[in-house]
Amino acid sequence: MNPFPVVLSLLNRNRLTLAFFVMLITFAVGLGIAITTQERAVRQGSARAADKFDLVVGSPGSPFDLVLASVFARPAAMGLVDGDTLVRLMAEESVNFAAPIAFGDSANGFPIMGTTAQFVGHLSGELSEGRMFAAPAEAVLGANVPMRLGERLYAAHDGFDLAEMLHEDTVEVVGRMTRTHSAWDNVVVVPVEQVWINHGLPSGHAEGEDRIGPPFLAEALPGVPAVVVKPATVPAAYGLRNAYRTDRTQAIFPAEILVQLYALLGDARAIMSFLALATQILVVAAILSGVVIILQLYRSRFAILRALGATSGYIFLVAWSYVTLLILIGALLGLALGAGASWAVSGYLEAQSGIAIPVTIGWPEIQLILMLIGAGAILALLPAIAIYRQPMVDCLR
Amino acid sequence: MLDLLGLEHRFSGQSAGAQPALDIASLTITPGRLTVIRGPSGSGKTTLLYVLSGLIKPSAGQVRWSGLDIAALGETERDRWRRRNAGFVFQSFNLMEELNPLGNVTLAAYFSAWTDRTVRKRAIALLERFGIANEPRRVDTYSQGEQQRVALARALVFDPPILFADEPTASLDAGNSIQLCDDFKRLASEGRAIVAVSHDPLLIAAADSVVALDHGRIGDGKTLS
Repeated sequence: MNPFPVVLSLLNRNRLTLAFFVMLITFAVGLGIAITTQERAVRQGSARAADKFDLVVGSPGSPFDLVLASVFARPAAMGLVDGDTLVRLMAEESVNFAAPIAFGDSANGFPIMGTTAQFVGHLSGELSEGRMFAAPAEAVLGANVPMRLGERLYAAHDGFDLAEMLHEDTVEVVGRMTRTHSAWDNVVVVPVEQVWINHGLPSGHAEGEDRIGPPFLAEALPGVPAVVVKPATVPAAYGLRNAYRTDRTQAIFPAEILVQLYALLGDARAIMSFLALATQILVVAAILSGVVIILQLYRSRFAILRALGATSGYIFLVAWSYVTLLILIGALLGLALGAGASWAVSGYLEAQSGIAIPVTIGWPEIQLILMLIGAGAILALLPAIAIYRQPMVDCLR
Repeated sequence: MLDLLGLEHRFSGQSAGAQPALDIASLTITPGRLTVIRGPSGSGKTTLLYVLSGLIKPSAGQVRWSGLDIAALGETERDRWRRRNAGFVFQSFNLMEELNPLGNVTLAAYFSAWTDRTVRKRAIALLERFGIANEPRRVDTYSQGEQQRVALARALVFDPPILFADEPTASLDAGNSIQLCDDFKRLASEGRAIVAVSHDPLLIAAADSVVALDHGRIGDGKTLS
C-alpha cells in the first residue's frame, strides 16, 4: 500500500491554501529555532570573546561594568586602579603579564583603547598587516575598522566626532590585528601612554622619556580603569583574585561573571522557548482544524477510492500521511528558516560588535523539531480517524 | 453468477416496523449480460447497487458470488473482494481532476497487489481501446464522453468479472451515450456481468435484462427480460 501518489494528488489540489498552512508552521517553528540558536550562539560567542581575559582587576564597583569595558570594549564611567597597584601587579611573580587598559576616546565612531603591545600580541598573535605600534602617536586597528595603514586619525571624546571635541594630535595607523572574533576587532588600539598624554596626564614614564610600554614609573602613572592579568597558572589565578579583592580593588574572572549573566538570561530563554513552543502547538492545532475541513471536501475522493477497492485502513493512511506531511514540510522549512534568520542576526551582531556569534543547529533544535513532528503525527490521527469512521457511500454519485 | 437471496436493508435509525429500503426475495445477475436496474427516484436503485457491490452490508439476506456470501464478509474482506471482482463507473465520472488519464486509470494500483508495470501496461491498452489519447494534461480538460471512457478504463484495469455503473449516461450527450451502451454490450459479450442503474431509455433499450425497482421491491416480483 503506497499512500503517497494519492496524498500528492490531494496536496496538489489545494496548493495555495496548503502553502499558507505550511508557511504558518514554518514561521512558528522558525521563530522557536531562531530564539534557541541565537541565545546559545550569543552565549558561546561572548564566552569565546572572554577566553583571553583570564583575570581583570579594576576599582571596586560593578563587575559587569568591568567586563563590559575590558572584554567587550564598551567604555563606562569607572573608578581607577592606582599606579602603585598596577606596578605591584606587573611585578608579581605569578603573573605572566599585566596590561593596563585605558579608554574614553573614539575615532570615526570606533572606540580607542589604550594598552600595551604585549596585550595586543596576546589578543591577535601575528598582525595581519603592518607592524606593532612603537610610539605614542601610532595605532593598530582591529580587523573590522575600515581605515588604511598610513592614515592619520584624530581621537575625539567618546561619542563626539565634532571638530571642537577632537584632540589636537593625530595618530598614524601602522598595523592591523589578525581577526580575534572579539569586540576588539572593532577597536582602534593605541599605546596606553597616548590616552594619558591626550588627556593631559603623566605618561607613566619619567619626564622627557618618549618610550612606550612597561616598566612604568609608579609615581608617573595616572591610574587605569582596568588591568588585564595573565596569571602563570590556574592556582596563581585564584591566588591573585583573592589578593586583589580589597577595599581598593576588585579582581574578577570574566568567565565567572558571564556565567552569572547567563543564569539571569537563562530564565528569559526558558520563557521565550516556552512561548515559542506554545505558539507552534497553537499554530499546528489551528491548522489541523483547517485540514479537517479540507479533508471533509475530499470525502467524495475517499469514497471513490473505497469503491475502487481501497480499504478503510488505506484511507486512514492517506489522511494521516496528508496531515503529517504538511507538518513535516512546515517543520523542516521552519528549521531552515530559523537557522537562516539566526545566521543573519549573528552576521549583523558580529558586524556591530565584532564578536563572532557561532550559530549551530544542535540537539535542542533537533529535539524541538522531533517533538513538533511527533505531536503533529499524533494530532494527525484525529482527522484521520474522523475520515476513517465516516460512511462513504453518501458521496458516491 | 451474482445471486441475491432474501435481501432486506434498513438504513440506520429506521424503525423495525417501517418499510425497508430494500426488500427483495431473489435476484440473479448473469455474467455475459447487461442488466439495467430502473425505477423512480427513491426506489432504492443505488442502494441495491451498493449492496450488490459490497459497499453496503445489508441488514439481512445473502449476496452470493461464486458461492461466497459477500454480505457475510467483514468490511476489509468486502473491500478486497471488490478490488478483485468489481469495477465502478459513476454518473459524474469521479475522476481525480489533477491527474492525467493514465494517472487515473493506474490509481488503484497503489492499494492493490498488482505491480505498477503490469497495471500501467494494461491501463495504456485500455485507454487505447476506448480511444483516449493519454496526454500529459489534466483529465478535466478532456470532453465529458472522454472522461467517462477514462472512468470505464479505470473500472476495468484489474479485469473484473463484474462492472457496476450508477447512472453512467446521465452526464453524456446522445452520441456519447450510444457509444457507452455499445461499450457495455461489448464488455458483456466478453463474459462480464454489467449492472447499471439508469433512467436512460437508450441504456434500457440496450439491456439484456431490466430490473424494475419500486419502493425497494422488484416490480411484480420479476426480473424483466
